[in-house]
Amino acid sequence: MVLVLAIGDLNIPHRAPDLPPKFKSMLVPGKIQHIICTGNLCIKEVHDYFKTLCPDLHITRGEYDEDSRYPENKTLTIGQFKLGICHGHQVIPWGDLDSLAMVQRQLDVDILVTGHTHQFKAYKHEGGVVINPGSATGAYSSFTYDVNPSFVLMDIDGLRVVVYVYELIDGEVKVDKIDFKKTATAPSAH
Amino acid sequence: MSKEIVKEEAPSSSPVVSGSFASLRSVRWRISLSILPSSSSVDDLRRVTADSRRRYAGLRRWLLVDPHVPKDGRSKSPDLVMDNPLSQNPDSTWGRFFRNAELEKMVDHDLSRLYPEHGSYFQTPGCQGMLRRILLLWCLRHPEYGYRQGMHELLAPLLYVLHVDVERLSEVRKLHEHHFIDKFDGLSFEENDVTYNFDFKKFLDSMEDEIGSQGNSKKARSLDELDPEIQTIVLLSDAYGAEGELGIVLSEKFTEHDAYCMFEALMSGAHGSVAMADFFSPIPAAESQSGLPPVIEASAALYHLLSIVDSSLHSHLVELGVEPQYFALRWLRVLFGREFSLQDLLVVWDEIFTADNSPLEKDSGNDENSSLKMFNSCRGALITAMAVSMILYVRSSLLATENATTCLQRLLNFPETINLKKLIAKAKPLQILALDSKISPLSSIFDGSYNHSKSAVSGYNLSSHPVSPKTPLSLVPDSYWEEKWRVLHKTEELKQDSLDKLSPSGKKRWSEKVKLVLSRTESDPSPARAEKYKKGHKSSVRRSLLDDLTRQLGLEEEDTEKGGCSDASNLEDHHSTEAQVEGQQNDTNIGSIYRAEERCECGSGTFVSEENSSIFSDPLSSGSGTNDHENGTEKSSIASNLSSDENDDHHQSNPEDSPLPVSSPPPEGVPLNSPHENESSGKLVSAMRERRHLSGRFQWLLRFGRNNVSQEASDKGGGTNETPKSLNRDSKSNTADSSIAGASRNSSLASQRDVDQNVMGTLKNLGQSMLEHIQVLESVFQQDRVQVGSVDNLGKSNLVGKGQVTAMTALKELRKISNLLSEM
Repeated sequence: MVLVLAIGDLNIPHRAPDLPPKFKSMLVPGKIQHIICTGNLCIKEVHDYFKTLCPDLHITRGEYDEDSRYPENKTLTIGQFKLGICHGHQVIPWGDLDSLAMVQRQLDVDILVTGHTHQFKAYKHEGGVVINPGSATGAYSSFTYDVNPSFVLMDIDGLRVVVYVYELIDGEVKVDKIDFKKTATAPSAH
Repeated sequence: MSKEIVKEEAPSSSPVVSGSFASLRSVRWRISLSILPSSSSVDDLRRVTADSRRRYAGLRRWLLVDPHVPKDGRSKSPDLVMDNPLSQNPDSTWGRFFRNAELEKMVDHDLSRLYPEHGSYFQTPGCQGMLRRILLLWCLRHPEYGYRQGMHELLAPLLYVLHVDVERLSEVRKLHEHHFIDKFDGLSFEENDVTYNFDFKKFLDSMEDEIGSQGNSKKARSLDELDPEIQTIVLLSDAYGAEGELGIVLSEKFTEHDAYCMFEALMSGAHGSVAMADFFSPIPAAESQSGLPPVIEASAALYHLLSIVDSSLHSHLVELGVEPQYFALRWLRVLFGREFSLQDLLVVWDEIFTADNSPLEKDSGNDENSSLKMFNSCRGALITAMAVSMILYVRSSLLATENATTCLQRLLNFPETINLKKLIAKAKPLQILALDSKISPLSSIFDGSYNHSKSAVSGYNLSSHPVSPKTPLSLVPDSYWEEKWRVLHKTEELKQDSLDKLSPSGKKRWSEKVKLVLSRTESDPSPARAEKYKKGHKSSVRRSLLDDLTRQLGLEEEDTEKGGCSDASNLEDHHSTEAQVEGQQNDTNIGSIYRAEERCECGSGTFVSEENSSIFSDPLSSGSGTNDHENGTEKSSIASNLSSDENDDHHQSNPEDSPLPVSSPPPEGVPLNSPHENESSGKLVSAMRERRHLSGRFQWLLRFGRNNVSQEASDKGGGTNETPKSLNRDSKSNTADSSIAGASRNSSLASQRDVDQNVMGTLKNLGQSMLEHIQVLESVFQQDRVQVGSVDNLGKSNLVGKGQVTAMTALKELRKISNLLSEM
């Protein structure tokens, strides 16, 4: 029963002032065990805010991050799953599933978390799962202004992961859930 | 403590359990806690057990939340907005899950530290898991209490006794294996397979011979031949009895269920009066009249009982500022779990659980008075009595402590090796006392206790308290005099072993008188002052002496005359001894003052209003010895005279008249005098005071003073309100001879006039002049032999040189005067 928060692309302060208040009210310390951040926070204050939610914080570097010490990729293991993080601006074309699958194979992970497109996406394919939490602040992206704030909470429990997607649509929080199971031998999506 | 199970004519064929569950503590406790019916057949026991277990299982399934498992197989897609992990909705399963996790964390924190010395059982994961679940479920069931530290310590012994009983069961199993073995499938029938022809008994015998012949051949063949206790165990554990496996009363599988039931019963009180859960609640109970949390009320009840049983210890603790809840909180919340070792605790809990918990019918008189909840049931009374018994167990070390910290240390670190039987035996009568005694209204208990502590504290802090409000003459702080008194007292006690006999009796009377004084007095400050004075003596012995004195003084109020005389004689004995002792000390002044006051009260039968002086005198009476019998006789005579007098004119003038030398204790004596209603007593007080001023060396001064007083009285002819003070001062040249003459004149005069008035005046003057002279002499001494030159014979010039001689002569003359007075 490990709760992992996947969040990113906040672009504070350049493109957005802060998280939506409804999101902020939900993110309370004590419930979440890990935070995976795809990048583009951009400033240290956001980093500190995440630290208050959970001390175990993993960030990769986005193109506008002011802290240059973040890595480009990162991998970690939670429970039975291997997770990989990458911001995604390095992967061209941006948001292309095949290219992202290549990164996933390269990193040899079950779940790959990327961002940069500011669009929520969750793909399952034979290699594993690719998740894009979107932009938590709803900041405009390189190709669109119409962005809904969103983030992802993963509940990893043994060989099963439940992905909860929180989206702010028209001022209301909408939640969706996706189940993924990992087979013991081969990492397959479903 | 044994539960006698009545043999009833059970409709069913199930055997009736006879005898007590002497060795099955868990069953006993379950019966005491009203989980199991107390008198019934095995079947009933089993049924009730099974029901309670079912309840627990249901509760557990309901409350222990696994958010992944869909509940009741309802909607496939639960409303995710509500049911997501981050949901703030309190109803969501995730919300409950997280709340439970919080509780579990708190519980774990305590459990990890539970009974480390018995870690082999309590720290095992299985036991810890059970404890955790039970506590969690109880707290979820009773959200108004939540989890408080200490609940785990109430639960642990319950689990332990269940475990012990299960172990006992396995022992019995080994011994009497054949009764437990299920030979259901082992029986092989003969060819014709006709059951009713089958000889079961013979077959069983043969089977047993095959199986267990290596054991003793005396194995009981049938159940009835067994020891009744073993029989009970077998019946209770029969897998085929009522309710099947669920009904096995001693079962390892259902230890958790049973422990939960016991815990619940203990906490909720099972419709009784004492519910442990109340002790964890910070909110005052609904029907509480004092508006205090129940545990505070219970602590106050404890102190109340202590004050009834042992008021000196109680007042000692109150003075030190040891509030009962400092230690009683832990005692009550964990039912003494932290004070005794586990085995001892089981014995204590045996006693407590045996006591009936049903609320008692209180008398009608208590309608207005809200009786304390703790005394409302036998169990509550026993708990209170146990606590008081424990306090009394360490009484000596408590009384010896000087500050609150050591007191609390002693109470919170209860001695390891204790005589538990004695402790419990002492608690039994206290319990009866608690149930029977007239419980005063809650308000008085709480106000009284708070006021007590307040007044004690405030009095202690005051640098100079006016013994009587009218005379602000005390120039020296309380502690100074009390300290001096203490030093004095110690020395006296050291040297007056042989005279202890006298002191107790004398003290006895004093205390009674004083007690009556205290009880009669209506002014508020008196108890406070009594407290103040008492606390000055940091020895409980003295305080208890004081108490005794007060009590006894109070009781003897009626026999003032006789008592006065006898007291006087006693006191004089005391005085003489004291004088003797004091002669060898520095603090003679104080001692003399105290003694003088003592004697004053002795002499004044109508001393009623003078609680202060009585208090002052009480400690002094102890340890005093027989030194000056002559003095005694004099005083007794005066006392008898005075006791018949009634006049309240002069007592006020007395204090005013006497100037107080700096170091002399007269300030104590004078204020004592002022509240005197009785003028004659006042006079005597002053006379006595004067005596007190003197050490053994100075006894003659007292006598001289008296001579002067009598002389004055005779001079004035009695009854006049002139300030004899001036006369006294002027008459510094009074010699012993003149005083004698005065005395004789006095006597002659007195005989001629109305006895009452003359005596009054005479005595008043006596007192005043005596006081004056004594003060003068004091000043003489303190000025380092400065010659006052007022009294020729006294040799005021240099008392040190020929002081002794002149003193003796003066004393003799004073004696003569007193004799004359007595003839009046």
